[in-house]
Order: sequence, then structure tokens, then C-alpha cells
Amino acid sequence: MRALGPGSVASLLKIALDCAYAVLVLAIAGIVLAALGLLLVMPFVQGSQHLITLDGHKQSISVIFHRWPALEALLVAAGLYVGALGVIVNRLRHVFRTLTQGDPFRPENVARLRVVGLGLIALEALGYLVRLTVVWLAPESGDHVKFNISLSGWFAILAVFVLAEVFREGARLRSDAELTI
Amino acid sequence: MPIRVNLDRVLVERRMSLTELADRVGVTIANLSILKTGKARAIRFSTLEALCRELECQPGDLLRFDASPADGDEDAFELDDG
Repeated sequence: MRALGPGSVASLLKIALDCAYAVLVLAIAGIVLAALGLLLVMPFVQGSQHLITLDGHKQSISVIFHRWPALEALLVAAGLYVGALGVIVNRLRHVFRTLTQGDPFRPENVARLRVVGLGLIALEALGYLVRLTVVWLAPESGDHVKFNISLSGWFAILAVFVLAEVFREGARLRSDAELTI
Repeated sequence: MPIRVNLDRVLVERRMSLTELADRVGVTIANLSILKTGKARAIRFSTLEALCRELECQPGDLLRFDASPADGDEDAFELDDG
């Protein structure tokens, strides 16, 4: 099976990204609806405690948030996370569309890959921010929340930026080839 | 780019149209227009050879070095710098 062009692996990945993007759009809509619902219900739940279950890599922990804006903060964090993921997937969709057309070295792909890299940085930063927020809201969860630096995540970010420069060079070479008579 | 293409002048001297030259050389009119207007980044020896053969001239008759800046050079440098 070919890697590029119509009916290739790239086209299959493009379909998968389209599906993922649709799911993310639905998730964002759900989060917005939940936030609106919370705003309506908020006056009646002030001062109450929220029981939240956090799913970690190895274990699931339950903590009670003693501070009032816990659910709101989690909704905002979820919205930011899904939003950043949506931007990344959307840009990847456009990149894979060009791969499906068999024409990857377009100048636009450089900017798209850079946005993907920035989106991945945002996701990593958001991960740390969420962990800090959880510890702030529920100090008893401090023992369970890890602040390890994800080496694979940062490696992927650097690889995406390097790939963007590879695409820039490819676009330059293609432009040169087009203007060679 | 300080390399100027004198294809226009040579064509007038030979009383030949761009379309006729394109037919004879086997290069599209669009590509010859790019060459004629100085937008080309490079020219293949094979193309230069065909042009010289059909126009009965030397490469120096078609190409000229001019160090003075001209319109469009800024774009070219911008592209080179990435």
C-alpha cells in the first residue's frame, strides 16, 4: 500500500483524523453545555463539596475538593485541553489532505506543523497546570499527583518542529524546481 | 537576481514569436514567459542549448549580469533567507 496519494495510508489517516475531529467538536460542545448548565445551577450548589474521581496511569483516586470553584476549574481545564487537541487535529487534517493529494511540500504545511508543535507545548503545559490546580484544590491528593517531565512528549514536540523545517526545505526545493526552466 | 534574461531582445532581432520559439524548443509558453520576465530561478543546460540552437546565438546573448538592484529582488532575497 502506498504511503502518499489517493487510496494510500495517508488517506486512511486523514479519515481517522476527520473522525477524531468530529468527536472533539462534539466534546467541546458538551463542555460548553456543561459549563452553561453549571452557571445556571451554581447559585444552588455554593459551598457544597464535589466528589471527583481522577483516573491516573496506574491507579484511580477519589478526592473531595473543599474549595468552591473545583468543578468550574476542571471544566475550564477540560475545555482548554480539548480545544488545544482540536486545533492540533484540525491542522493535521489539513496536512494529511495535502499528503492524500500527493503534494506534501506546500509552504502552508510549515505553518501548520508549527501550530501542531505549539499545540503540543500547550497540552504539556496544561497538564502541569491541571496537576497544580488539583493539588491546590485538594491538598490531600498531593501524594498521588506526579509532576514528572514527559520525555517522550517533549521529544515529540521537538521532532514536530524539526519536521516543520524539513517541510520548509522541501517547499523551497519544490519552488526552485518549478522555476527551473 | 542580478542575472538578466535578454530573450525579448533576441526574439525581436530574430523576428520570432514566443509561441514559435516554444514550439521549436519544446518548452511551454508559460515556462518561456517565466524565463523572459526574469522570474526563473534557474535554467537547464539542455534548455539553454535548445534556445541557442533555435535562436542561433550564444548563451551570453541571452543572459547578462547586472549587479544593480531591480524590482522583485527583495522578494528573491526573502525567499532565499527562508
